[in-house]
Amino acid sequence: MENNVYLPKLAKIIEIKEEVGGPRAIKTFRTVFTNGTQFEYRSGQCAMLSIFGKGESMISISSSPLLRDYLQFSVLKMGRVTSALHELEVGDLIGIRGPYGNGFPMEDWKQKNIVFIGGGIGLAPIWSVLQTALIKKENYGELSLIYGARTSKDLVFREECEELKKKMPVFLSIDVAEPGWNEFVGFVPQNVLDKKPSSANTIAITCGPPIMIKFVIRALKELHFEDDQIYTTVENKMKCGIGKCGRCNIGPHYVCKDGPVYSWAELKNLPQEY
Amino acid sequence: MAKIEDLKEEARKLLREGKVKYIIGYGVGSNGCMANPVFIKRPEDVDVLIWDPTCVHNLTRFLVDEKRRKAKEKQPDTRPVGIIVKGCDSRAIVVLLQEKFIDRKDVYILGVSCENAGVMDEKKLAKKLGAKRPRKIELGNKGQFIISTAEGKIEVPAAEILAERCLECKANFPVIFDVMSGDKTKRILEKPYGSIEQIEKLSPEERWNFWKAELDKCIRCYACRSVCPMCYCDECVVDSINMAVTPDTTAEEKADKTKWIQRSAEFSENFVYHMVRAIHLGGRCIDCGECERACPLDIPLRFLNKKLEREARELFGYEVGFDDSQPALISCFKDSDPEDFIR
Amino acid sequence: MEKILLKKTLPQWVKQLASYTVFCPKKDKEERWNYTEIDHEGIDLNFLNTTVPPKKILFPQKEIFLEFIKTDESNQETLEIREVLPEKKATVIFGVRPCDARAAWLLDKVFSGEFTDPYYWIRRNQTVLVGLACHVPPSENCFCPSVEGSPFSEEGLDILITDLGDKYFVKSLTKKGEQLIRAAKQLFQDPQPEDLKKVKTIRAESVKKINRQLKDARAVSSKLKGLFESPLWDEESMSCIRCGICTYLCPSCHCFDISDEVESASPLKGNRVRTWDTCQFPDFTMHSSGHNPRPEKASRLRQRLFHKFQYFVETHGQFQCVGCGRCISLCPVGIDIIRVLERVNEHGK
Repeated sequence: MENNVYLPKLAKIIEIKEEVGGPRAIKTFRTVFTNGTQFEYRSGQCAMLSIFGKGESMISISSSPLLRDYLQFSVLKMGRVTSALHELEVGDLIGIRGPYGNGFPMEDWKQKNIVFIGGGIGLAPIWSVLQTALIKKENYGELSLIYGARTSKDLVFREECEELKKKMPVFLSIDVAEPGWNEFVGFVPQNVLDKKPSSANTIAITCGPPIMIKFVIRALKELHFEDDQIYTTVENKMKCGIGKCGRCNIGPHYVCKDGPVYSWAELKNLPQEY
Repeated sequence: MAKIEDLKEEARKLLREGKVKYIIGYGVGSNGCMANPVFIKRPEDVDVLIWDPTCVHNLTRFLVDEKRRKAKEKQPDTRPVGIIVKGCDSRAIVVLLQEKFIDRKDVYILGVSCENAGVMDEKKLAKKLGAKRPRKIELGNKGQFIISTAEGKIEVPAAEILAERCLECKANFPVIFDVMSGDKTKRILEKPYGSIEQIEKLSPEERWNFWKAELDKCIRCYACRSVCPMCYCDECVVDSINMAVTPDTTAEEKADKTKWIQRSAEFSENFVYHMVRAIHLGGRCIDCGECERACPLDIPLRFLNKKLEREARELFGYEVGFDDSQPALISCFKDSDPEDFIR
Repeated sequence: MEKILLKKTLPQWVKQLASYTVFCPKKDKEERWNYTEIDHEGIDLNFLNTTVPPKKILFPQKEIFLEFIKTDESNQETLEIREVLPEKKATVIFGVRPCDARAAWLLDKVFSGEFTDPYYWIRRNQTVLVGLACHVPPSENCFCPSVEGSPFSEEGLDILITDLGDKYFVKSLTKKGEQLIRAAKQLFQDPQPEDLKKVKTIRAESVKKINRQLKDARAVSSKLKGLFESPLWDEESMSCIRCGICTYLCPSCHCFDISDEVESASPLKGNRVRTWDTCQFPDFTMHSSGHNPRPEKASRLRQRLFHKFQYFVETHGQFQCVGCGRCISLCPVGIDIIRVLERVNEHGK
């Protein structure tokens, strides 16, 4: 049937990069649809990745929609589906359906500065926005990145971040000091307060563990960011991805459909049950 | 005759003196007739407690919730919980004590004797009353039920609307208690396993067809499991999601977790679920009948559990839920245990 | 169109529907009804209400979405996905109570919108719902007028039948319904003025007989928002045993799970299926990390009531409860949705 929303399209994995090894492994996958198509999407949207026989998992598309060559997903190994995904090799087939969710309202941010604040795997959902903003540099003000992880080995897009330093301010951090680490040591919210991004004409986007988001928002409020200047993506357990199975709701919203992108102004009015 | 006033007095005292956290008992439900579980924290609320043939629930089930609640608290209130139990329910407490799921000091048992009667079966009552709606059900002093309706009172011999399990009841008064209301009336059972005779008369093929028809109806609401005090596992054989996930659980452990039964409510899956559950309850089920009562599709689950109860008795001479000083059946062995399967 | 059908002629109408699969309520040994497929014989509309609502036919407990097969042909591994749509089967369900049909109308809203659920709609479009208006409330816990329904509401139905004693007043509400009547039009007569009068009387009487009421449900709905953090959820959920009865047997509940059922691991073969799920199970919202937004029974009871009386109202403008009373009658511990909402009403004062 044409456009059966539950039917994934087959996609081939063309590249796999191990970002983080060990028990909290993260791999980045680049995929292309086997029928040669590509779908239109916005930064911040996600797709349901199918490992047939295991299930599906909703993952943010971390590549910019302006790049048509592939869809990129960075996946943290967490459970049944993600473990199976981590076992795959280049050339293997998976299913993809999407794009789902509301995406970041980048059209509202013309000529604004954007500060990206990420923690751990949380950099992946906002990476798409970052790449798009870099490609369309003329549409936006100053871009900066504040990103941290538990240890230096848990940082994703490590090489890309080093490259980025040539184009924009990039402030990395790790939780505990390590030999050879000469950037900030501490939690991401502390780094935010340390670097003091200006709130004037600026949008802050943050994503990471829930506890980090909570304290980053607190830090941003201290730095006089208004509620509608702060954006985040929320995650919840999902199955259908289209707002019908009833699982991912926060109040009357379904995170898969009405989210996952929310401004703090919107999110604080929803029941804090996520 | 068992009087709720005795238990109310005791309950009031316990709450006033702060000896228990709260009391689990029976109160009148929203339709004004059937009992429902109630949780009483204040001595002045004790008057809502009732005792009549509509008190069908096995309140021991809520001791499991209490344990889960305490496990989540950093500094739990270690006072016991007061609980009103019938004979059957008290046997459930014995099983929980044998399995060291709870301590004796965790529970203050207010027992009540069913004496010569028991509790009613709502479906049998509905059949008896037809279109009439019951307003109140009381036990008469001749062991009959007195049912008040809008059209007046009806007297019914207990045997006609007693729950099936009451007809085979082995403990019509609590076997363990701190206080008890009512007499320790000994009842002689004519047919302690009468209910399973009708199944045992069937040939294996007939039995298969019987269970196929019944289990095809199952929608896997898990009410049977949820209402059972002995189904206290944090993670059940049917749960494909590891509910006992901790921050240390690895992705591999979650990924490798075996999915024993699919979520589809098809006969093959339903059959495995119910059979596995029955076997997990072998030597543990005390026949409170709640699983069958809770089932919205009227699947006769008691047959399975009753059969295994008899097996436990015949093979191992074990009566479930009478002696909390005895080890649980499955957790021990005796040299005299049957060995005829060893060749 | 409005027609009259003599009661004794009903079986003939059913016989004329040879091209349809026919369901009607049948009593089981415990004297409870459930929709059963009948072989065009033995139709009987003498019932109160079924335990399992007709949603089970439109939205079955299990349905296959797709098949996945890995084949190894000439050393090339291929993965094939085959869509599995519901069987094309024109269906009629006789004896649908107006509340259950109204629930189907609510489910229609859920399964359409920005994304259309093809599986639901194939079944919904090929099923004719023939309703039976209520003379007396089928359950002592009915409260349909309180949630803007009625014993003779028409939403979701294709035909509404009112029992006039020895005959039925048959009103078609959709093209599908009309088609069903035309399939045996010779069996129907035109209604007389006294028939129409009788219908009016029966309807007026039936509403008066409903025992239970939730006063001012819309006000309850607006009060709910302020009571999200109230301790009343903890108190009311103390006896909840976290089974799935209230939601599985609710005609308007629709939560589901999607999982892969593997028949053979190597070569890989299996189905992706949809099965019923419920927000009342503790692991419903549990993330793979173990984090659970709704770990407590209180939060799950709150979710059920908020979803039905606040979130759905915000999104679709309607209550997601049709007042059938099943959750109250079937809850093993007597948790009563009307009583909990009455407390909300009192609290909000």
